Amino acid sequence: MEDEMKDKGPGSGAEKREQAADKKKASIKPAKKKEAIEARFLVSSSPHIHDGQTTSGIMRLVIFALLPAALFSVYIFGISSLRVIIISICSALLFELVALRIMKRPVNVRDGSALLTGLLLALNLPPGSPWWLVVTGTFFAIVVAKQFFGGLGYNPFNPALIGRVVLVISFPVQMTKWIAPSKWGADAVTTATPLGRIAESLEALGHIEMEFGREEILNLLVGNRGGCLGEVSIILLLAGGLYLIVKKVISWHIPVTFIGSVWAMTGIFHLIDPAHYANPTFHVLTGGLFLGAIFMATDYVTSPMTPLGKIIFGAGCGVITVLIRLFGVYPEGVSFAILLMNAATPLIDRYTKQKVFGARAA
Amino acid sequence: MRAGKEFLKGFWSENPVFRLVLGICPTLAVTTTAVNGLGMGLATTFVLVSSNMVISMIRSFIPKKIRIPAFIVTIATFVTIVDLVMNGYFHALHKSLGLFIPLIVVNCVILGRAEAFASKNPIWISIVDGFGMGFGFAISLTVIGAIRELLGNGTILNISIFGDSYQPLLLMIMPPGAFIVLGILLGLMNKVEIKIAERSGREPIISKAHDCSGCAIHRN
Amino acid sequence: MKEIFRLTLILTVITAVSAGVLAFVNQQTEQPIENALREEKMKALRNVLPPFDNELTEDSILIPDITGDTLEVFRGKKDGKINGVAFPVLSHDGYSGDIEFMVGVNLDGVIQGIEILTHAETPGLGAKIQSEDFKTQFKTRGINNPELWEVEKDGGVFKQITGATISSRAVTRAVYKGLKFYEKHINEITGGENTGYENKKGNKEKK
Repeated sequence: MEDEMKDKGPGSGAEKREQAADKKKASIKPAKKKEAIEARFLVSSSPHIHDGQTTSGIMRLVIFALLPAALFSVYIFGISSLRVIIISICSALLFELVALRIMKRPVNVRDGSALLTGLLLALNLPPGSPWWLVVTGTFFAIVVAKQFFGGLGYNPFNPALIGRVVLVISFPVQMTKWIAPSKWGADAVTTATPLGRIAESLEALGHIEMEFGREEILNLLVGNRGGCLGEVSIILLLAGGLYLIVKKVISWHIPVTFIGSVWAMTGIFHLIDPAHYANPTFHVLTGGLFLGAIFMATDYVTSPMTPLGKIIFGAGCGVITVLIRLFGVYPEGVSFAILLMNAATPLIDRYTKQKVFGARAA
Repeated sequence: MRAGKEFLKGFWSENPVFRLVLGICPTLAVTTTAVNGLGMGLATTFVLVSSNMVISMIRSFIPKKIRIPAFIVTIATFVTIVDLVMNGYFHALHKSLGLFIPLIVVNCVILGRAEAFASKNPIWISIVDGFGMGFGFAISLTVIGAIRELLGNGTILNISIFGDSYQPLLLMIMPPGAFIVLGILLGLMNKVEIKIAERSGREPIISKAHDCSGCAIHRN
Repeated sequence: MKEIFRLTLILTVITAVSAGVLAFVNQQTEQPIENALREEKMKALRNVLPPFDNELTEDSILIPDITGDTLEVFRGKKDGKINGVAFPVLSHDGYSGDIEFMVGVNLDGVIQGIEILTHAETPGLGAKIQSEDFKTQFKTRGINNPELWEVEKDGGVFKQITGATISSRAVTRAVYKGLKFYEKHINEITGGENTGYENKKGNKEKK
């Protein structure tokens, strides 16, 4: 069957699989067979120049950078957080394995991409999420968002974020059930996220009521607040981000422009009308902004390649986030913003790709 | 023999939704429940059969230059009839399908069959074609509606399937759910078609438009 | 030139036939559609009014509300005496689009029932404003104690639907608005037949 299909010309299923397999090795192997067909793909996507990094190596570094924030969530939210992480990672790996088997793609679960997706999704869920919620999320992340679109390297949208957004839309009740930081042993007390709280006071009172002093800022930096598992500790997320930048896994462009534009835009609104729009520093430190900007928006597959493209991408994410937070019905908009900009990535790439030297202007 | 073939093609080989990918607006918009899907499918079937019949009847009188306006007037007439009759006798269904009943006029399946089939074929065979295509459309919409209703509301035809403890996956009865279900069913149908074709040794009928090479993301 | 006449003629014939057919169908379905619409309205009215024996739709009056919209107010009568009033209420504060519903009160302005007529709230969430659990909590509530006329989240007495506070709040506030409307126009509506309302209200306030 495979041979039959290979002869069917461009775009047939078997070829796509081959393409996916190549991508997975993340290297540009000299085409050993069917050079004519392979050559088509060699020019199709970057990076073209290789420095010896492998997919699994990169994945390992990113996971390593996320670990402090993940461990902190277990420390601050207790066993309910650990449970979510374990269920999420295990189900993600399982779905990846089963999907690859069924779709007859090379089974390569060890590249760590499914593990990373599972971990990222877990960090985007409220602590104490029931098991079926987590499993539904990983199903949409791995099977629908990733494998249906061709597997690693072909997903137009960040899989973990698709998982999260499906859950936010489908189960708004469970996805906004936050528990207060309780450490180990203490009973879980429900609470609201800082963003949720100001949205509510705006709804009920018509203006924002909150205290925002040195103590609150410190709490936000350390992560002593309600929220998704991985978004609470700004310091640890920042440390992970710096580590990735130093290791050259990600560049500074997207995180800096993303967070910067959120700060600038909420700052303008705050200056105009402080009764209705919260302090920009508050906006930057709350919600999933750092987690999203450092670990989700920088995903290679779904973000632009050139520095200029990355700056446009990051700024776009920031603007959409602020629009959703201030004028939308959801208190938090980071995940929607990144997904919307994911959709714009091919377009951004097209217009920011460097022209071949000497080529005529289009 | 021929009639049988023309009737059955609407169900599989030329299914309007999953093969021709026509009439996608109602397919995506009204299939939130199995009943809505079925209602829309049957309304469309009525219009399709009637318009096929009339257009085939008057096909020799209509000059080529005005055939499209003539077809559209005919189709619009039947759609208005459906709209009025449904409003009077199936008021609840009419209310839940709402604007999408008048919009049957612009359903590509109907003008497509008028142009491609009824204007070139005798009456009886055009009627059979209308029934085949219409039922194919209705079944497709009902299946999509049933899946969305089951996952998004835990029921099929308003009968609870999963019980009260089921947490409905609301996404499925919202617009994205329609795209996801349609996409998965399209893929499954192609898969099955390839298997069948392989077994019987013929070429699989898969539209070139359905593979990923045409997608901007992959061409980039 | 000759051809254009031929084409015009053919199209004219087709449209004329089509118009004739539609005129016939329209005539045939006019009555059933009217019945269906009336039945729909009556069903809502029966749910929100105490038992009545008059022809409601022939006994309605039109009253403009604050926004300038004209509301059709229905008066339910038993043995010739008004025993309930129903009027439509519109809320613009829904999660998606307007929510229109019918509110029924007795002469004292105590709610007998509410019925949602049209809405575009999210299925499975906001659409639950149609559930009996949500609607029945308005029964037997009157206009007293405006501070109670909020959902629980805002400090009132009405249970909001989990995950759909916006829809619940919209309905709750609009029902209150409806009661205000009734209070303001009570004399126009009942034609002075009701004399006990002001007194009763006064009594309650004294408590």
